[in-house]
Amino acid sequence: MTTHHPNLAVISRYAQGGTGLDDATVWTVEVHLEECADCRARLAGSTTGDTRALLDRVAAAVDRGLDESPPPARLVQAWSAARRRWLIWALAPWLGMTLTALVCAWMLESLKPGMPSLVLLLAPVAPLPGVAIAWSRRVDPAWELIAGTPGAGLMMLLRRTATVLAVIVPALALVGAGTRESPALMLLPCLACTAATIGLGGRVGVRRAAIGVGATWAAVVVLPTLVTADLPAFLQPGSVPAWALATAALAAYAATRAADYRGLSSLS
Amino acid sequence: MGVVLPGVRRNLDAADEDELVRRTARGDRRAFDELYRRTSPWLAVRLRRRCADEDVVADVLQETYLAVWRAAGSFAGSATSGSAVGWLWTIAANRLVDAFRRRARHAQMPAVPLVETTAPAAEDEVMAGRVGQDLEQALLLLPAEVRQVLRAMVLDGLSVRETSLLLGVPEGTVKSRARRARIALREALS
Repeated sequence: MTTHHPNLAVISRYAQGGTGLDDATVWTVEVHLEECADCRARLAGSTTGDTRALLDRVAAAVDRGLDESPPPARLVQAWSAARRRWLIWALAPWLGMTLTALVCAWMLESLKPGMPSLVLLLAPVAPLPGVAIAWSRRVDPAWELIAGTPGAGLMMLLRRTATVLAVIVPALALVGAGTRESPALMLLPCLACTAATIGLGGRVGVRRAAIGVGATWAAVVVLPTLVTADLPAFLQPGSVPAWALATAALAAYAATRAADYRGLSSLS
Repeated sequence: MGVVLPGVRRNLDAADEDELVRRTARGDRRAFDELYRRTSPWLAVRLRRRCADEDVVADVLQETYLAVWRAAGSFAGSATSGSAVGWLWTIAANRLVDAFRRRARHAQMPAVPLVETTAPAAEDEVMAGRVGQDLEQALLLLPAEVRQVLRAMVLDGLSVRETSLLLGVPEGTVKSRARRARIALREALS
C-alpha cells in the first residue's frame, strides 16, 4: 500500500497492546504489517515478554500436534483430473481382451486364406465391450457420483467412447492392413455400431444396447457368413457409401437422444 | 527445531512467506518452522488486540498453524494465490470467530476495548500525513462501537454474521453501525 514504514516507537507501542495508539494509527500499522516482511521482523523484535511466553507455549503445542498429524494433503494435479475425465482403468482389461480377439482373428485369417475375413466380421462389434463398460454401474465405482453429477451424461460417455475408439481404431487399421479388405469397410461399420449403441443406450441402458447390437450383428451377419462361407452384399467394397450414410444417420440419432442420459436407466 | 545446515538456513532466509508455504505443502518441516518464526509474533500481537483472553489467543494460534500445515497444499495449489500472509490472517480470523462462537454460550468474552476518542498524540502527527487528515479525523470521531464494526469488516475481512459473533451484538446492529460508518466516511471524503 505504501512504502512509508512506521517508526520503531509506533511498532513497539503496537506490540504492547493497550491504548498507547489511536485507532487510525493502529489500522494503518496493521495494513502495513500485512504487506511488509521487514516491519513484521521489527515487530517480532519488539514483542513483550507476555507474548513471547505465549508463543513458546504455542510452539510446543504445535510441535506436538504436528508429530501426530499426517503430512500436508497433496492437491490433485490438474493433469490427473483431465486423465480421469477421459479414462477409467476398468476399461483396460476389456480393451486388452478386444485387442487379443482381433489379433486372434487376424492369425486365423492368415492361416486359412480361403475363408471370409474374420477381422472384417469382428470389426463392427470390437468397440462395443469397451463402450458398455464406459457407462456401467457395475464396473465404475464412481457411478453414484456420476449419476448425481449434472455435468455427466452423454458428454462423459462420448469422452470415454472416444478413448475406446482411440485404442480400437488404430488397432483395426493395423490389423486390417494385413488383410485384403478395404479399411473403410472395416472402420465405418465399427463407427455405425458404436453410434447405434449410444443412441439406444439412453433408452435401455448402454450395456443392454451393446449386447443387443452385438447379438444382432452376430445373428444377421456373422453366422450366415460362416455357414455360407461368403460375405453378404453389404460387406462388399461397393457398399462403403451406404455405410457412410448409415454412420452419419446413427450419429445424428444418438445426438438427439442426449436427454436420455440424464436418467438412471441409462446406467444399467 | 533441530540442527539446521548453514546452506539450508541461507536458502530459507532468501525465501519469502509464499515460498515457505509452498515448501510446507511438500511436507518440509523446516520451512514450516521458519514460517512460524517469522509470522507468529505478528499474528499473536494482532490477535491479542482483538481478544483479551490469552488462553483463547493461544488456542487460536495453535489451531491456525495446525490448519496451515494441513492445508498448505490448497494454498500452494491455487493458481490465484494471493499473499501467504493474508491467507494466514484469514485462517486466524476465522478461528477467532469460531472460538467466540464456542464460548458465546458459556460466557461473554472480554473483547479488547477500543481507545476512547482522543486527539492524535504528537508522535502520531508524523503518521497523519499518510491517511487523509479529514478521513482520519472522521474515523477517530466515530463512536468506539462503530469503529469496532469497521475494523472487523474492513480490516479483518469478516462478514456481517462473523462480526456479530465476534462483537457479541445482533446482526442488525452490525449492519446499522456499518451504515453509520459509511455515511461518516463518505462525508469526510466529499
